[in-house]
Amino acid sequence: MRGSMSLVLVRTALRNLVAHKAKTSIVGSIIFFGSFLVVFGTALLDSIDRGMSGSITESLAGHLQIYAKDARDKLQLFGGGFMGGDDFGAIRDFKPVREILEALPEVKAVVPLGLQMVTVMGGNEIDQTLEELRQAVKSGDDDKIHSLAVKLRAMADDLLPDLERRRHIARDKAEIENQLRDLARVRSDAFWAELAKDPERGLTFLEAHVAPLVLDGRFLYFRNVATDLTRFPRLFDRFELVDGQMVPPGEPGILLAKRTYETWVKNPVARDLDKIYQGLTTQNLSIATATELADAARRLPRQYRRISFQLAVEDARTVERELRRLLPESTGDLGALLQDFLRVDDDNAVGRYRFFYDVIAPRLPLYTVPVGSDVILRAVTKTGYFKAAKVKVWGTFRFKGLEDSDLAGASNLIDLLTFRELYGIMTDDKQRELQGIRDAVGVKDVAREDAEAALFGGDARPSSADATPGTLGAIDAVAEIAAAKAPAPAVTFTPEEVDNGLTISAAVILKDPSRLHQGLAAVQRAIDAANLNLQVVDWQTAAGIPGQLVTVMRLVLYLAIFIIFLVALVIINNAMLMAMVERIGEIGTMRAIGAQRSLVMWMFIVEILTLGAIAGTAGALAALAVVSWLGHVGIPAPNDQLQFLFSGPRLYPAAGLENLLLGCASVCLVSLGSTLYPARMATRVQPVVAMQAKE
Amino acid sequence: MPAIVSLSNVAKDYPLGKTVVRALRGVSLAIEKGEFVAIAGPSGSGKTTLLNLIGCVDVPSSGEVTIDGRSTSALHDRELTNLRLHSLGFIFQTFNLVAVLNLYQNVEFPLLLKGHHTAAERKKKVEAMIDKVGLTPQIGQRPNELSGGQRQRVAIARALVTEPKIVLADEPTANLDSVTGQNIIDLMKALNDTLTTTFIFSTHDQRVISHARRVIRLVDGVVEDGAAQARGAGG
Ligand SMILES: Nc1ncnc2c1ncn2[C@@H]1O[C@H](COP(=O)(O)OP(=O)(O)OP(=O)(O)O)[C@@H](O)[C@H]1O
Ligand SMILES: [Mg+2]
Repeated sequence: MRGSMSLVLVRTALRNLVAHKAKTSIVGSIIFFGSFLVVFGTALLDSIDRGMSGSITESLAGHLQIYAKDARDKLQLFGGGFMGGDDFGAIRDFKPVREILEALPEVKAVVPLGLQMVTVMGGNEIDQTLEELRQAVKSGDDDKIHSLAVKLRAMADDLLPDLERRRHIARDKAEIENQLRDLARVRSDAFWAELAKDPERGLTFLEAHVAPLVLDGRFLYFRNVATDLTRFPRLFDRFELVDGQMVPPGEPGILLAKRTYETWVKNPVARDLDKIYQGLTTQNLSIATATELADAARRLPRQYRRISFQLAVEDARTVERELRRLLPESTGDLGALLQDFLRVDDDNAVGRYRFFYDVIAPRLPLYTVPVGSDVILRAVTKTGYFKAAKVKVWGTFRFKGLEDSDLAGASNLIDLLTFRELYGIMTDDKQRELQGIRDAVGVKDVAREDAEAALFGGDARPSSADATPGTLGAIDAVAEIAAAKAPAPAVTFTPEEVDNGLTISAAVILKDPSRLHQGLAAVQRAIDAANLNLQVVDWQTAAGIPGQLVTVMRLVLYLAIFIIFLVALVIINNAMLMAMVERIGEIGTMRAIGAQRSLVMWMFIVEILTLGAIAGTAGALAALAVVSWLGHVGIPAPNDQLQFLFSGPRLYPAAGLENLLLGCASVCLVSLGSTLYPARMATRVQPVVAMQAKE
Repeated sequence: MPAIVSLSNVAKDYPLGKTVVRALRGVSLAIEKGEFVAIAGPSGSGKTTLLNLIGCVDVPSSGEVTIDGRSTSALHDRELTNLRLHSLGFIFQTFNLVAVLNLYQNVEFPLLLKGHHTAAERKKKVEAMIDKVGLTPQIGQRPNELSGGQRQRVAIARALVTEPKIVLADEPTANLDSVTGQNIIDLMKALNDTLTTTFIFSTHDQRVISHARRVIRLVDGVVEDGAAQARGAGG
C-alpha cells in the first residue's frame, strides 16, 4: 500500500475513533488496562526474579548445584523437608569434583555444601541448676545446697499441675504416673535428707529422672549447612559476620544464623518482649490490633519459668524484691509475680520491656548457646544411630538484605569435618581421637548401668554418643549430659582434609552468571565425562519451593493476563463488529467507488492498531510511572517469604525494555486478534449496498 | 463509434423467499461515449437494478453487460473493483460521503485509491474539481456542515475527479428540493459538455427527464418504447 493511502487510513482511523467516543473509550480502557497489567506485572515479577536470584545465588546456592544422581529427593536448599526427611544423597569425595569443575573456563569456584538437620540441647534450666548443685555439693556449701534444694522443690511444685493435666490426656498413663512419683520424691523432705548423705545418688536421680521432665524448649532444631568456612565468605557476597568472630581456618566450629540466634536461641521471654517493643515503637502497631503482638503477649505469662528456672538463687531473690516494688498489688511467690509482670498490654509494655532488660536480663543466660560457648549437636545418621558432636559457637552471621528472612536466616554454617562426623563418617584417626577424649571425660560421672548401656550400646561402639534411635527419654538425656561434659574436640584440620571427603552438594559459582545455561551445559558435560555419577541443577531448581514460587507467580500472572485478554478479545470483537455494522453504508460506498476488499480490511486493522498504540502506550507509560514510583519508595515485604523473594525488606522494582516490548506485542496481538473477525465481515460488504443506502 | 456501455438481452432475477423477482427481463441497449442519458420509469421498474449492472456493483443473471469493451459477468470481484475505480464514477441518491473526512479529503479519496498520482498532482486535480462544482470556499468542511445540494456537488466532484469514462447517478436529485435538483442537473450537463464524460442517471422526476438528451424508459423490467431510445429526445 502506498504511503499516502496509509496516511489517509490512519487519519480516517483517528477520526473514526474520535467520532465513536463510547466504543473508543471502552476498547481503549481495556487495552490500557491490559497493557498496564502486562508491563507492570512482568516488571514486578522480573524484579522479584532478580531479587530472588540475588537472595539465592549470593547466599547459599551459587549459580548451579551439584549433587548425587541417585538422590532420592530433589535438592532443596531452602525450605523443604524437615529433620532429614529428605535424602539428597551424598558426594562421596568432593576433591575430584572440585578439581574437574574448577578447571572449566566457565567456573569460578566450587564450594561444598553439606545440608544437615541437627538437634541442640537448649533451654536446660534444670541442668544448670543441677550443675550448680553438683558444684555446691563438691565444695560442701551447705547454704547454697539448701537454697538450691528450695529452688528445685519449687521447680518440682511448678511442674506438678502441668503433669497432672497431661495425665488426663496422655495415652501412656503409666509413664506419666512414674514421672509424678519421681516429682513427689523430689518434693519430699526424705529425698533431700538422703541427698545430704549420698549426694551422687541423689544427683544422678535428679539428672536422669527429673531433668527430662522439663521438656519445654529443651530441643532446638538447627538447619546446618556445612561448608569450607574459609572460602565461603569470600565467594558468597551476601555473607556478613554479625557477632563474634570467623571460625579460624582449620578449626571446627559453627556460625549461627543471626535470625536463628535471635528467634530460637534467645530466651523466649526476651524474644517476645523484643517483638512487642519493636512493634510498638518502630512499626506503630498495637497489641490490641496486631495479632502478631497479641500472640506474643498471650504467650508471655505462660513462659515465666524461662525466667524463674534460670535465675540463680540470689538473683531470684533480687528479682523478686524488685518485682514486688514494681507490682505492689501482686501477691504470691516469684512465679506468680513473674506471671503478673509478663501480663503486658499497650500501656505497660514499654515499661516492662525496660524493666526486663534493666533488672532481669543481666541475671539470665539470655541465649541458650551464647557466642563463645560450646554446643552439642545431635544428628541421626543414615543407619539410624544418634551421633553427637560438640562445637564452639564462634559467632553469628547474616546474609545482607535478608536479615529478617527466616528462609535465608534458617541455615547455620558449620565446618565440614564436624558435619562428616555427625553424618556418620569418620576417619579412623578421628575415631580413635574422639574415643580417647570421651573415655577420659565424663563417663564415670554417669556411672549407672542403664546410662552406660545407653552410652556404649550392647557392643563397644566406637562413638560414645551413639544411642539406639527412638529412646528420646531419660536415658537419652543422660547421654546428652555425658556428651556435654566433654569439651569441644580440640582437633584441627588442613584445607586438604576439608576437600577430601563427603559433602551433600556443591555450589558452582560461574564467572559469568548471565551465561547460566552455557555454564550448566559445560558442568553437565564435565561430570558426565568424568563419570562422577552426579547431577547438576540451576539455582532456581536447587532452591526448592522459593525458587519455584516465582514460576508459580509468573503462571498466575500469565493466567490473569490471559483471562483479561480473553475478555478483551470478546469485548473488542463485539465493539468492532458493531462499528462494522454501523459503517456498512460507508464501506459499501468505498467499495463502489473502487476500494478493494483488502483496503477495507486494512481500515479496520489500522483503526484498532491506532487505538492499540495510543491506549497501549498510555497503559505502558502508566505502568512505567507506577513502577518507577515504587522503585523509588519500595514495596514493603509484609512477611518473611516475601522478604526472601524481594531480597530484602523492600522491593525496588524496575521496568526494562523487554517489559515494554512484551506489553506492546501482547496488546497488538490481542487487538489484532479481536479485530480479525469484524474486519473479515467488513470485507464481505457488497458495493451494491451503497446504492441502497438510505440515510 | 463503438458503444461504451452495451447490454444485450440482460435479465436480472432477485430471489425473494420461494419466488423470484424478475427486476429486468431481456434488456438490450447501447450507450455511446459522451451521451447524457436519463433512465426513467415508475418505482419498481428496474432503474436501480439497471444502473447496478452498468456500475459493475452487480452482475446479470443472464445476458451480457459490456462496459468499455469488457464483459462484466466474466470478471472477479477484484477486476470489477478495478473497473469501477478506473472507468466509472458514482453519484448516489443519499450522497454517501465519508462522514469523518472533509470535503477535500472526500474528493481526494478515489485518487488515493488509484494511487498513481503525486501529492502535487492530486492537489491540483482535487482543487480544480472542487472549483468546477463551486465549493472552493467550503473546501475544509465536513459533510455534516454542508447542505444537501452542496453534498451532492461534492459527490459529483468525487465521481469526476478520476476522469472516468462513465458517471452513474441513481436518482441524484431525489433528496433535494426542485431548485437545487435543477442546479445539480445543470451542473452535470455542463460537465458533460466540457469533459465528454458519459452521464447515465435515473430519475422519475419529469422535469429532470426533460433535460436529458436521451431517455430510456423502463416499465416492469423491460425497455418500453424503441422509438424513445433514439437519440436527442430532449434538450
Ligand atoms: N435486492 C433485491 N432483492 C429482491 N428484490 C429486489 C432487490 N432489489 C430490487 N428488487 C426488486 O426488483 C424490482 C426493481 O427494483 P429497482 O430498485 O431496480 O426499481 P427502481 O426502478 O429503482 O424503483 P425506485 O424508483 O423505487 O427506486 C422491484 O420489484 C424490487 O422490489
Ligand atoms: Mg431505484
